[in-house]
Amino acid sequence: MHELSVKDLCLRMPNGQSLVEGLSFTVEPGQVVALMGPSGSGKSSILNWLTGMVDSHLHASGEVWLGPRQLTSLPTEKRRLGLMLQQDYLFPHMSVGDNLRFGLRGGSRRERTERVRQVLQDASLAGLEQRDPATLSGGQRARVSLLRTLLADPCALLLDEPFSALDTTLREQIRRLTWDSAARLPVLLVTHDMADVPLQARVLRIGESSPADSLGMHPQPI
Amino acid sequence: MSLPARTVTAMKPIIMLRHRGLVWLLVSLFMLPVLLGLCGTVAPALGFTPTFAPGDGFAQILTDPRLLPALGLSTFTGLLATFLVLAITVMALVCVHDTRWWSWMNAAIPPVLAIPHAAMAVGLVFLLAPSGALVRLVSPALTGWERPPLDWIVPDAQGWSLIVGLVIKETPFLLLAAIAQLPALDVDASLRIGRTLGYAPARCWSRLILPRLYPRIRLTLLIILAFNLTVVDMAILLGPGNPPTLSVLLMTLVNDPLSRAAASAGALLLVAVVGLSFLLLFALEIFVSGIARRRRQSGVRGHGFSALRVLGKGVVMLILSTSLVTMLLLLVWSFTRRWRFPDAFPAQWTLSNWSTRTDVLMQPALTTLIIAMCVAALAISTAIAWLELERRGAAPRLDGIWFVPLLVPQISLLFGWQAVALWAGLDGTWWMVVYTHWLYTFPYVILILAVPWRELAPEWGHAAHTLGAGDWRVLWRVRLPMLIRPLSQAAAVAVAVSVALYLPTLLIGAGRHQTLATELVTSVGGVDRRVVAALAVLQSILPLLAFVLALMVPRWQSRRLARQSTRSLTRTAVA
Repeated sequence: MHELSVKDLCLRMPNGQSLVEGLSFTVEPGQVVALMGPSGSGKSSILNWLTGMVDSHLHASGEVWLGPRQLTSLPTEKRRLGLMLQQDYLFPHMSVGDNLRFGLRGGSRRERTERVRQVLQDASLAGLEQRDPATLSGGQRARVSLLRTLLADPCALLLDEPFSALDTTLREQIRRLTWDSAARLPVLLVTHDMADVPLQARVLRIGESSPADSLGMHPQPI
Repeated sequence: MSLPARTVTAMKPIIMLRHRGLVWLLVSLFMLPVLLGLCGTVAPALGFTPTFAPGDGFAQILTDPRLLPALGLSTFTGLLATFLVLAITVMALVCVHDTRWWSWMNAAIPPVLAIPHAAMAVGLVFLLAPSGALVRLVSPALTGWERPPLDWIVPDAQGWSLIVGLVIKETPFLLLAAIAQLPALDVDASLRIGRTLGYAPARCWSRLILPRLYPRIRLTLLIILAFNLTVVDMAILLGPGNPPTLSVLLMTLVNDPLSRAAASAGALLLVAVVGLSFLLLFALEIFVSGIARRRRQSGVRGHGFSALRVLGKGVVMLILSTSLVTMLLLLVWSFTRRWRFPDAFPAQWTLSNWSTRTDVLMQPALTTLIIAMCVAALAISTAIAWLELERRGAAPRLDGIWFVPLLVPQISLLFGWQAVALWAGLDGTWWMVVYTHWLYTFPYVILILAVPWRELAPEWGHAAHTLGAGDWRVLWRVRLPMLIRPLSQAAAVAVAVSVALYLPTLLIGAGRHQTLATELVTSVGGVDRRVVAALAVLQSILPLLAFVLALMVPRWQSRRLARQSTRSLTRTAVA
């Protein structure tokens, strides 16, 4: 696994107003960096830029690297950055198994089916392969969504408030599953809730003061 | 003064009864021409009306040597045109979405849709014919032609011109229906998730979005398929003459009293052709979705083919701009005095095509306008009545039924409806023409109004009721002004549909009501090209004006409010 590096990222609004100015940071494999800041400070725009899908009206400059590989000019599908959003976006026209197979790369039909069955069993979701995603509970949906992202074998994980739609009990459960599953990946987490940030995470506050000053460890354990 | 509670309770059943009566009246008004029309076609075909339509209809039509070529031509042009419409729509979505062309495409669709079929067909003939604008632009410099070439003609014998015309006219319709459904599918998020899972954009569309989009545009596609298989006006203008398409052949048969039974039997054959084509489409759907399901599970990510994207953009832009170019060409021809081949532009211009031919132009324009306005008013009021009854729980949702007239071939329904009108002595009456236009306009109007009407929060009405407003006042002062935008759009669409209707005016009007559509189709063969162009321009201007008005009315409403507000603020400041 390689580290995910952002170098000198600038995001500007169409009127020239700066949203993010000269932001640089590195996320090591197994490390979680939490991007925090007030609404409209550009947290989600940074994630969009990392995936190569920044809003066309924003002017963006900077570089993104995954180890020795520069991703900046690569299309989204070639970057191998896993993404989880606030909503789980399980495709409603596919069964749970099909959703997972959609994420899976390569392998024969039998291998793929076996892998999906194994993964579901490991996540305590055995027997749900043929189920319509609409019939799953919120926690089950969140787990399937996470599994789908991880089955695509990403080199880094980007999380955009993935726990905010879950209730308190489920949140802790899904958080733990996420950190355990992504233990060897660089993880960039966007959240406004300090409770979502794991203890060992680095917190990067944007939109408040100079980003370089705000890099540091989790301010207080929760 | 309010009524005592007991009186109100006692009135409820009466109101419900009145509502139920209105529901039955509206449904009967709508279904009457459909059912009687179909019966009126079936009866002569089966020999039940020997005095009106003598002979064995099926025996006559099945032994007619023109039947098979006409049937083949109709099926070939209708199916191929529909397939191309679907393919180009998909291409437009995949290749143009999320590019800077997207907003241009969205802006170009409404004016293109407003152009009536007949006007578009005439414009295409002027563009693609051997003496048309395309050849003139490159002759003689690139071709060496000093005279129009004789290598091809428009309309051609194989039906390609008709296919081109149908594709150009119907693609924007399907595209509009598809674009309207995209917000419900959360396309951006699906693309984002699919692409971060490693799939190229085209694969994301084919595996994530199209399988969910297709069921939502299926009905529109079926309407297009039925139209393409049975169209008359465009087939007369762009289709081959010998053999013609089946619908055009049936039109020639129905005008001969001895062949009426054959025409009715042929109209039933056309219903069967449309039904079989629907079945073919469903079978293809099952086949393609089976393949798609297997592919979806394969995990193959695919590549982004930039060359294909450019090609797709090119095709879509070509189709939309051709429609606009045909309009421009018609406008040029309508002001032309002299335009010799191979000149690229007219040598002399004139206003006389308009000023000296008012007899040919103004009377049909006036008739068209009056019919269109009456039809629009009728369609809007009946749609409002239905949706209001639906909102009050007095009427069920009948979305499927409203589309029946658009799925049944016009010719099959109108032959019978014309026979019924003849039998009742009502053929050729003005109100029967308006009634029949309403039948074809109402589905579009209710389609446009249903979603905003149903989504308007009931709390607005509740708030007005608590302020003492009755049902009528709530409707006039709250709901209708709040829905002014969709109402204006629906009115514009109603005008556009009515202006374009050819067959209902011709058959039910019994030739007594000359509209721009009927005049244009009959004029093409014999009348001066410049007058034909003027007729086509007039026919296109009416719906365009309606669409411009539909844009302006909501703006006027908000401007009036802004003016009142400014005045009030000024008065307060002065005080």
